[in-house]
Amino acid sequence: MRQRSLVILTSVLATGALTLTACGSRDNSSGKSGDSGSSSTFTIGVDAPLSGENSNTGLGIQYGSQIAVDDANKNNWVPGVKFKLKAYDDKAQPATGQSNATSITGDKTAIGAVGPLNSGVAQSMQQVFASANMVEISPSNTNPQLTQGKNWQTAKSRPYKTYFRTATTDELQGSFAADYAYNGLKKKKAFVVDDKQTYGAGLAKIFNEKFTAAGGKVVQTDHVNAGDKDFGSLVTKIKNSGADLLYYGGQYDESALITKQLKDAGVKIPLFGGDGMYATAYTDVAGKQAEGDLATAIGVPADTLPAAKTFISTYKAKGYKGDYRGYGAYAYDATTAIIKAVKAVKDANGGKLPSDINDLRSKIVDEVGKSDFQGITGKVSFDQYGDTGNKQLTVYQVVNGEWKAVKTGTAS
Amino acid sequence: MSGIGPVEPVNTAETDDSYDIIGADAPRLADRLTARWHTLPARTRRTALATAVITLSTIAILLAPTAGSPDHADPYTPMPWPANVTEWRYLGTAAPLNSHATSGLFDFEVSVDNGPPVTLTVADAAFAGLTAHATPEPDFTVLAGTSRRITVEISVSDCSGLPLKADLPFLDVTLRNTRAIQHHSFIFDGAYSRDLSKLLHRACRTRTPAQHPRPTGSARSQNAD
Repeated sequence: MRQRSLVILTSVLATGALTLTACGSRDNSSGKSGDSGSSSTFTIGVDAPLSGENSNTGLGIQYGSQIAVDDANKNNWVPGVKFKLKAYDDKAQPATGQSNATSITGDKTAIGAVGPLNSGVAQSMQQVFASANMVEISPSNTNPQLTQGKNWQTAKSRPYKTYFRTATTDELQGSFAADYAYNGLKKKKAFVVDDKQTYGAGLAKIFNEKFTAAGGKVVQTDHVNAGDKDFGSLVTKIKNSGADLLYYGGQYDESALITKQLKDAGVKIPLFGGDGMYATAYTDVAGKQAEGDLATAIGVPADTLPAAKTFISTYKAKGYKGDYRGYGAYAYDATTAIIKAVKAVKDANGGKLPSDINDLRSKIVDEVGKSDFQGITGKVSFDQYGDTGNKQLTVYQVVNGEWKAVKTGTAS
Repeated sequence: MSGIGPVEPVNTAETDDSYDIIGADAPRLADRLTARWHTLPARTRRTALATAVITLSTIAILLAPTAGSPDHADPYTPMPWPANVTEWRYLGTAAPLNSHATSGLFDFEVSVDNGPPVTLTVADAAFAGLTAHATPEPDFTVLAGTSRRITVEISVSDCSGLPLKADLPFLDVTLRNTRAIQHHSFIFDGAYSRDLSKLLHRACRTRTPAQHPRPTGSARSQNAD
């Protein structure tokens, strides 16, 4: 409670200080202005794990946003306005994410943020952005609570009007995985493990419920810690359980080691996980032992989206690190939603942006909520909770060392 | 763990586009055509090749003037994958469910936004104890920019293991266009979830663990162990 009060106090002070400053940074020398002969440059913050655990997918978010900003500047999406991206490394730690959120909202040129990767990190950042009335769009958070509240299964209630996401939720993801495990793979006995994190524990719980409802049996559940390397005792439990499937709620860092140690011990059952596992790092680390493993991920395969073709070729041509496939294209669309909102605010204000940064931020939040455009992942729009209107999912399986799509799904 | 793929691209003889399959066990079309080609007599193959060369040359000559004119040059439009352009919307039950119903008729509106026509086959319905097929024809085609009203018959073949409440029920559909074949789930909430739950409740409310009410066929799965 005390921590929350401090967050609010810090945010209020930062917001108050910003009202005394000019809006954006003026660059009179650019000569590419719209109405006034000058151009403004605004900052979009991107927060994700950029080093250490989860950075394979986190870097995909950073560079997905970077390509959107570059496209906006190159193609003059908002006449007279330029954008720059400032990346923040949260190291997959909630406290670091909260500190980054405070830095972003305290930046007098910042008008929105993309990220974070992890749902648990998002929980620590939402209040900061809400206090500053600044939009935050995650391309990867899937925990239902973030948009629909703690009681999302019985009484949905949006906790923060400034938070949006371009990723669909684990309610769908867990259902999709359970259906494929039971009806597609014909698995009847699942051993369910999670990493005790907001995302992992939430997804594992939903899979557990849906797999049981479909007719399967969860023979045992267990937990690991993020950062663990030795899963010997877990492997023994799985071996003795008679399970024909291991479901894991968590990230690729741990699941790649679990599947390796599991197969090395002679337990030849597939490991099935969520979008946190859909990364090249998983197959790189687990090697041949990952063969046949599965993961659900948000959206449809990027290479089936004609509009994402240029994005993928740019990402590769630039030699960006990380893996774009999980969330890169969704980060591109999240960033584009913010940029398009800036344009909408400008158009609605007689071709000028509000001079007060707090007013601008507030109006951007409103315009993001009205988003309705064709992004590179499909139609970009948000419902009354801030959830994406694009509710697509894919089941991937490791075939010959690479993730291959085996089934897609769309919720209406 | 066999029978999950193949998922590799397949080259067609009809176009230069790769023809991809997601989640389907189908032989490569190019392999089938190649095998068939080699069974033809040498004279037939020579005649076919000559005909193809003449035809392609004629087409090239006819198209050359328009292709070179900027006024007539069409921008490249990528061929969409069928799942990315196909939408299903639940309309309601086609007929009221009677009190002991073991099957029901459900109406959907299927639309294709753009691209080539999409041919659809309803394959499965959420749970192993259910079967589903479109009526009157199991396969149907929807043209780009159009919608079709489709009736799907869902039958309860085995109550054991079936829940009485269907949260987020699926309809598994195979989608085909000239770009790809995709096995795709359409996932519904709201009215379809309620109506399907009503059918499950009426068919299975008095079930015993071994009860099998009026089997109407086994559920077809796309993938097997």
